[in-house]
Amino acid sequence: METSIPKISTVLKTLLRADFTTQWRNRRAVVLTLIVPVVILALWKVFVEKMGGPFVLSNSITIGLVATGLMGYSNSIARDRDKGIFQRLRVAPLPSWTIMGSRIIVQIVMILLITTFVFIIGKQYDGITLTPLAYVLTYFTALVGGVVYLSIGQMIVGRIQNPETVNSASRFIYFIFIMSGMLGEMYINEVGKTIHDIIVWSPYGTVKTILAAGMEPAKWNNNASMALLATLGYTVVCTTLGIKWFKWNTK
Amino acid sequence: MSKQQDNILTVDGLSISYGSFNAVQNVSFSVRRGEIFGLLGPNGAGKTSTLSAVEGLLKPQAGTILVDGNNAVSKPLHARASLGVQLQSTSFQPELFVIEVLQLYAGVYGVPASKADLMGILREINLEDSAMKKFGELSGGQQQRVSLVIATIHNPKLVLLDEPTTGLDPQSRRQLWERIEAIRERGHAVLLTTHSMEEAESVCDRIAIIDHGRVIAVDTPQGMIDKHRDDPEVIAVSRRGRITLEDVFIALTGKAIRS
Ligand SMILES: Nc1ncnc2c1ncn2[C@@H]1O[C@H](COP(=O)(O)OP(=O)(O)OP(=O)(O)O)[C@@H](O)[C@H]1O
Ligand SMILES: [Mg+2]
Repeated sequence: METSIPKISTVLKTLLRADFTTQWRNRRAVVLTLIVPVVILALWKVFVEKMGGPFVLSNSITIGLVATGLMGYSNSIARDRDKGIFQRLRVAPLPSWTIMGSRIIVQIVMILLITTFVFIIGKQYDGITLTPLAYVLTYFTALVGGVVYLSIGQMIVGRIQNPETVNSASRFIYFIFIMSGMLGEMYINEVGKTIHDIIVWSPYGTVKTILAAGMEPAKWNNNASMALLATLGYTVVCTTLGIKWFKWNTK
Repeated sequence: MSKQQDNILTVDGLSISYGSFNAVQNVSFSVRRGEIFGLLGPNGAGKTSTLSAVEGLLKPQAGTILVDGNNAVSKPLHARASLGVQLQSTSFQPELFVIEVLQLYAGVYGVPASKADLMGILREINLEDSAMKKFGELSGGQQQRVSLVIATIHNPKLVLLDEPTTGLDPQSRRQLWERIEAIRERGHAVLLTTHSMEEAESVCDRIAIIDHGRVIAVDTPQGMIDKHRDDPEVIAVSRRGRITLEDVFIALTGKAIRS
């Protein structure tokens, strides 16, 4: 009997099938993550006139991305690690990166689906349409934005072992992001300049900025480029720390 | 065949520590092709840690591990390809059906298997009807059977089983031992841990007793009994008129219960 290492392509294909199946079986949880984006589209219909479609769409997509990347991803990783699911996979002859790689690919598909979903509801309910170039650019900025939340999720599961603590930590950050997004934007005068700046340059604000800018490519300015750089910077830092801290088992 | 080639697994001078705690210290033993080798020891002795190093789940502080000639640290994928593993506590994605879990592991071990092949595997362990159940919906013994077929799905040269009989009823236990012996009949080796001295005595070709992270004896079960049958400590703990492996085990590792 010959012992041979399975091909990476076979391994990845198999992992992807299992991870997509898992994601599909959890579709109710995914639907829940779409509630807040939909609520924004519904309640903020009145702002479309005043603030513009990109303002509403970018907030809705940002919240959706935070929910899936930061909460969905980190919670599923924390749970599977705690159950020993990763350890069992890791004693198979596969490089560890394929396990995470497959999970990340599933998340990237989720990012694209959420973005598409918001586009559709935004068009149907709020009557917001973008130019074809703007749609393409927004898919790109949504990917960049979605990935920064994945990296924050990675940092949370890197730092925190206990799945319940991961859950509350990610919920807490999600809550902060929602509050700062909703209130900070509306009550600029009340919150003061410093807090406003913090919100604008937080991973919440920068993602919202690049999303909105991508929806109106003609208005892409220096500020948007800085926000893009900041988003990429956050991603690099959080990914590095998230991988460095990460342990495959909770024991 | 040289001695090296006779061994499917060689562990030499293995040391493992968690922080400043030395869980495994200078452990050496080897498993020959086609033998059932038992790693016995009280709770916390370092059995699972030793297996984890063989599986490549943790990096040892010192020592060499060769699985079928492949260094577990420098060539982990080659080493793991020859290994089938059942961990002490195994869990699979709770969202997946049993048949999908089998499909996943056939895939990651590079075993081409159709749905019909996988159903055949389930039929062999009398779980054909559970193909569309979630793993968590199976009873403990059924879960155990599934994780054993997954451990052997790629017909590995060495199967590592960490306490495979814990929690099984007598029927399942008996069946499990038959399956383990069938692996040996195919010429493949099994390295297992168990707390049942009776089982180890009747099934294992050789055993190592490990305590406080050190190997204190390696022998055949009978050899170990014969060697120690006249020790006063062994006679003192013996209760049945005849000396058993359990008597020797308790005499060698002491009566105190481990934390
Ligand atoms: N991840 C870890 N961090 C710290 N200490 C650990 C860790 N894993 C094991 N230990 C300690 O190392 C020692 C050996 O543990 P191990 O799990 O190898 O024992 P064992 O022989 O398998 O025991 P059991 O029969 O109870 O399964 C124990 O004292 C345990 O507390
Ligand atoms: Mg153990």
